[in-house]
Amino acid sequence: MDDYPAGSLDHNVPFLIVSGLSTAPTKSNLKDPGLREQAVLVRSEIPPVESREAKIILRCIQERDATNLPWNSQDSSKRYKFKIKPIGREFLLPPRRARLPENFEEPSSPLILHSPFSPLSPGSSLYPDGLIDTRWLQKHQELVPSICLTFYSLTSDSTLATLHDNQLKADINAVKNAIGQSGHRCRLVVVILSDQSPSTVGQFQERLENVRRSTGLDPKNSLFVLPTQRPEADLENAVDSVLTAVFDQATEYYRDLGRHARKKKARGYAPQPTIPPTTGTSHTLSLQGWNVRYDFKTAVFAEFRQEIDTALRSYEQAYDTLLGADVLETIPGWSPRFNDARLLADIITIRSLKCLLWTGQSTAAVRRWQAHHDRICDLVDRRGRGTQNYGWKAWEAIWSTVMANLIEKVQFPELQPSAILPYRPPEKNLSAERLQPWELLHHQGYWYRVAARHLSSRRRLALSIPEDDRKSPDQSSASQLRKGYSYDTYMCPEPHHEYPSVGTGVNHSQLILDRLMLARNEFQKRHQIRTSAELALEAAREFERMQRWKDIMNLLAPLWRDMSFRTEGRWDIMEAVCWILRGAAVKVGQKDLIVAIDWELLNRGFSRRPGWHYDITKALDGVAVDGQPLIDISDEHVTSFIQASFVFKNEEGKAGQSCPAQLSITSNAFPDAIPVVLSAIRVEFEGSLRTIRLKHDPGDKQTSSSPKVRVTKTALVEAEATDDEDSDDSSETGSQTTSIILEGMDDLTVLPGQTRVFEMDVALREPGDANASSIQISMAPKSFILRYTIGIRDTNSVGLWYSQSSSRKKVTRINPHKINVLPRPPKMEVRLVNTLEQYYASESIELELEVLNEEDVDAITKLDVLFSGHDVPSFKVQDQDGGERPSSAEPAESKLDGIPLGTIPSSKSIRAKIILDPAKGPIVCNLLVKARYHLVSDPGTPIIQQETYHLNIVNPFEASYDLSPRLHSEWPSYFSIEDPRHAPERDQPAGSFRGIAQKWSLATRYASFAHEDLAILDLDVNVLSTQGNARCTTSKTQTTAGDGVTISPKTIEEAQFELVAQKQDLDDRAPATADLAFTIKWRRLTSPENTVNTTILPLPRFFVTTSEPRVLAGVSYYAPPPGLSSSAEQLLFLDITIENPSSHFLTFGLMMDPSDEFAFSGAKTTTLNVLPVARRTVTYRLLPLVRGAWIRPTLVVRDKYFQKVLKIIPTEGMKGDKDGVLVWVPAEDEEDGASEDEGGGEESAK
Amino acid sequence: MATAIPSIACLGVIGRNNNPLHITIFPSYDVATNKRAPLRTPLQFSLLLSSTLDVFEARRRASSSTSQSGGSGGGGAGAAAPVVTGDFGLLHAVDERLAAYGFETNTGVKFVAVVDMRGRFAATGPGGTGFGAGGVGVGGGGGGLGGTGDRAMSLGVGAGVRGGVGLREQELRVVFRAMQTAYVRLLQNPFYDPDEHAPLMPAGGSGGGSGGKRITSRKFAEEMRRIGEGWAPGVTSL
Repeated sequence: MDDYPAGSLDHNVPFLIVSGLSTAPTKSNLKDPGLREQAVLVRSEIPPVESREAKIILRCIQERDATNLPWNSQDSSKRYKFKIKPIGREFLLPPRRARLPENFEEPSSPLILHSPFSPLSPGSSLYPDGLIDTRWLQKHQELVPSICLTFYSLTSDSTLATLHDNQLKADINAVKNAIGQSGHRCRLVVVILSDQSPSTVGQFQERLENVRRSTGLDPKNSLFVLPTQRPEADLENAVDSVLTAVFDQATEYYRDLGRHARKKKARGYAPQPTIPPTTGTSHTLSLQGWNVRYDFKTAVFAEFRQEIDTALRSYEQAYDTLLGADVLETIPGWSPRFNDARLLADIITIRSLKCLLWTGQSTAAVRRWQAHHDRICDLVDRRGRGTQNYGWKAWEAIWSTVMANLIEKVQFPELQPSAILPYRPPEKNLSAERLQPWELLHHQGYWYRVAARHLSSRRRLALSIPEDDRKSPDQSSASQLRKGYSYDTYMCPEPHHEYPSVGTGVNHSQLILDRLMLARNEFQKRHQIRTSAELALEAAREFERMQRWKDIMNLLAPLWRDMSFRTEGRWDIMEAVCWILRGAAVKVGQKDLIVAIDWELLNRGFSRRPGWHYDITKALDGVAVDGQPLIDISDEHVTSFIQASFVFKNEEGKAGQSCPAQLSITSNAFPDAIPVVLSAIRVEFEGSLRTIRLKHDPGDKQTSSSPKVRVTKTALVEAEATDDEDSDDSSETGSQTTSIILEGMDDLTVLPGQTRVFEMDVALREPGDANASSIQISMAPKSFILRYTIGIRDTNSVGLWYSQSSSRKKVTRINPHKINVLPRPPKMEVRLVNTLEQYYASESIELELEVLNEEDVDAITKLDVLFSGHDVPSFKVQDQDGGERPSSAEPAESKLDGIPLGTIPSSKSIRAKIILDPAKGPIVCNLLVKARYHLVSDPGTPIIQQETYHLNIVNPFEASYDLSPRLHSEWPSYFSIEDPRHAPERDQPAGSFRGIAQKWSLATRYASFAHEDLAILDLDVNVLSTQGNARCTTSKTQTTAGDGVTISPKTIEEAQFELVAQKQDLDDRAPATADLAFTIKWRRLTSPENTVNTTILPLPRFFVTTSEPRVLAGVSYYAPPPGLSSSAEQLLFLDITIENPSSHFLTFGLMMDPSDEFAFSGAKTTTLNVLPVARRTVTYRLLPLVRGAWIRPTLVVRDKYFQKVLKIIPTEGMKGDKDGVLVWVPAEDEEDGASEDEGGGEESAK
Repeated sequence: MATAIPSIACLGVIGRNNNPLHITIFPSYDVATNKRAPLRTPLQFSLLLSSTLDVFEARRRASSSTSQSGGSGGGGAGAAAPVVTGDFGLLHAVDERLAAYGFETNTGVKFVAVVDMRGRFAATGPGGTGFGAGGVGVGGGGGGLGGTGDRAMSLGVGAGVRGGVGLREQELRVVFRAMQTAYVRLLQNPFYDPDEHAPLMPAGGSGGGSGGKRITSRKFAEEMRRIGEGWAPGVTSL
């Protein structure tokens, strides 16, 4: 909008002059010397008010200036708008009537003089047929105030009051008259400042009334009294109310003017100029022209009144008339008035655009904008110089810029940077229509860009101006004429200024740049980063034309560094940016950029630039290079034709071992690019792995026929990092410890399109996760060093493993650059030595442990031992030196931690003994032995080896028992002198057992469950406890188990014991029981002689006394006196003993049945009386008729009283079944031994 | 006088990672030279498609932050409301002729149709030969044409070279529907791996990522061409 005359497009607000508040004399706006001469001076003689309050009031008024407010109706807080101009005490008013020209002869009749701004006045620039120009607008906006707001002070000094008041009155009247005489209708408003407060100002009421009366001012709207003795905020409010009242006056003023203009239009004829034109065509302004003028005036006055709708209507009327058939169409294209009319059309359109935007009709505004463009286009094509020249494009650019400026002024909330849409939605009444997309008002950035585009068309057309036309007019006059008609010079220079043949003309690039930068600014504000990047690219092209290389660098380098186009894969755009930037970088000498861009451009994805060398080593050719600059780039900023990956073959590896890995470098360069020779490749790891560095070894020459995938094996050796390349790094960190890296050598030439694979074994160090973090490839041609870092990121893509023989690729796994290094495997062996086949309960178990160090260095070892299981016995550990440590014993486990074994030398072993206490019974338990050690060379790494053993401890024996009654030799006698009834009082309880003693035979059969022969040392039966006031003694009947008796696995041995139980009291008839335990003392045959293991087998509870009568059968064999033939008949004695422990007198009937097996002597039937606590024996002599067989004497013993048959209980040498007892008749040959044996038993039974 | 009617100037398919998947450029009719030629260079179209991403992003930001913000603009409620259908409507117009309309599928693939508002001439224009589809378009959009024409006259504009045929956002839906159908057909091809074209994680790192492959299917390209050439305002099926 700056291209239009100043003031022509401003929004009109009432012009207010504030007089009497500032002392500084202000310059008048009246610039024209001619008018200045004729101007009317309005002057007040009273000096300005100079109090502090006056300054506050002035500042307060000036703050209300509305000239820079946004052009919208948003801010309605103030009901008035003014353009405020503070002056001293005087100002100039332009003359109402123009003067006649100097040399003009006064005609006879008086001439009608018109305003100097009117086309009627000969002095005016519009004379005789101009329409209207900016000067008229200026007159009303800057020269003729609507209101002259004059401040005076009212003195409080009563002595001076009259004098001052009179001066005041005189001055007001003088000013009023001066304004009145000027012919302008500006209104005078007087504000009298009093130093009183609002409450005390009343005392001057009379004086003020006096002033008002003598000046004829209306106290409602033209005379205000302002007491200044009040707070500042109050004062501001008071000023506000004054201005509000004044604004009404101003509105009234402009309404009067508007009415005047309409009245003139209504006259319906064209006024005649003061003097008829004599020069030129003597054409005067037509009636339609006058109507344009009047409508325009009406519209402007409406705008002054802030009546936007009214203004819009009038503007449209003026516009229609102007472009109608009678005004612009009649002006010839060569006439300067044509361009004036175009300018007026533009101004009217812009003003009505403003009104449309003001009222929020943005889509209508765009249509209006478009319509004007089209209409002017049509007009210029028909009547002007056509639209195919630079002038038209220049105007199109201006026209777009105007819209951008308007949008800026209007400040739509929908187009603020925070808005979502880049355009404003259409008005409601238009939203249903078919709209052109452009008709939705886009933000100013778009408009600036369109302007820039028009400007480049302008340049294109300007550059095509023929040579002749570009010469300045004084040089050639031949083409002058033609030129005048073929170039549109509306608002743009002549061709010889536009693009002169000599010298510089219009700086098109700068014009374009300005628009582009404005546009870019807007897009950036709205985060339209891609669009602003696009504009930056366009701007860079202009800079390129202007050879402002530094600016290109500033503009494009940040863009190039992180381009969204790169991540999004827009190769064409990247390419454009790169080439422009490279060109600039060469000029500026920015070596790192040149190399980096060359590096990037090698990628096959770009289109090939013909003739380009595509050799990275030549990147800095033609650039002044001092030294060998180091250029660091990474794939975060630059894409590259080189892609690298690092793949571990295995997902896991163990520390101390190595894992095969492949480093693959793929080149995507142009097929005809020069192969890239890398100087080094460096792979950095995260985790415990060491950096790998491959160095170039120009060994084998590769030709272009080399395979597409080339796999080579590279040996890595440990080397100290020499840091020759990393001098900058090491200087930063200072005294960095020299690190060990793995180094290898190979040919690092990568042909275009080739994949180089370097296979190597990577030594794994410490446990934990490790991954390759970055790959840095370096190049070192003569002129520079390039280091390109490729970060390796987590991807879920699978890796490829290239095999050496074939080029088949095997998919390994995802994230193949990671490896999980497992802890170092322990090389310590823990084992049990000399274990026995089976361990038994109740023996003390010794386990011998051997810890063998298979590491290469000595190990400091500790041992943890843990037994777990149910009821595990405690243990001790005996180390090599014999020191013992007892374990802790807990119900579920017993353990012993941290037994120091000391240092085990390499490949030596150390032994320890675990001695387990005898287990009470069979148990199953686990033995966990943990050897914790660390190497002498590496104390930081704990290593653990552990072994678990399963231990099953079984009982070596099991036994079964049989208790059978025997005839005890002792029986209490009636004739004993000791009276049992008196005994208990006197005797000790231990010795006072007087009850019936009964004898039992306990037969135990024990079986060996061991896996081997065991030596039985001793057998015994112990009485653990008795119940029922009885005592019990046991004795071995025979010395069955002597020293060295062995029992084989799975055999059963029998042992007999004698048991005598005696009740304490004879009268106590309750049964008594006894708990017995069978004890076996044994040892292994292999264990030392003095070892005694004791296995105790508890017996079930036995009843050891009975109070019922019982019948015991005993047998004894006739032993012939020595010397008698042993072949005599065998005679047996069967003793039937009936015991009656009860206190009853019992009668038994005995009946012996004859049998085939034997003959007998004795009572066949008899009756036996048994006294209480007595026993009797009946003996039968049997002569068996069979030999070597069991015979059954069928004897029935019956309790006569109860009629109950008693069971006959067999004793030694007999056996019984359910039918009765059986007696063994020995065979003849065995008689001797048998009789002896039996005889022994018989004797004792008797 | 020939009436300029809108035509498709460029169809673009943009992947989930904002990477270009496909671009087809269509020639526009040029009055001055009486030829059909693309309005811009391929680079410019590429930039134009890329610039629409700014708008996609802004719209998505807005719709995710608050759903009511769209209503603040009064008339803008319809256009800026949270996108449910995936149809973004008008993204922006770059000048009087070119305007970009957008559609986003729920997998983040974006279709952009760049419309040249004066890309074709209906009726008896000198270049009118072989523009059968254009004729159909005028028939369909006749009502709208009349309406806008009247409005233009009331503003004192001679209809002139500039066609009065405006465009409703809904009229592009058929294009997007057809594009989506074509894209779905492409996806049904077992040899087409969408992840290859828009990797979840860019393969070569954030900086070096090429975004993904482009669509190379010839059938898809032919389909795009058919859609672009067949469309005119008022066409209801493609």
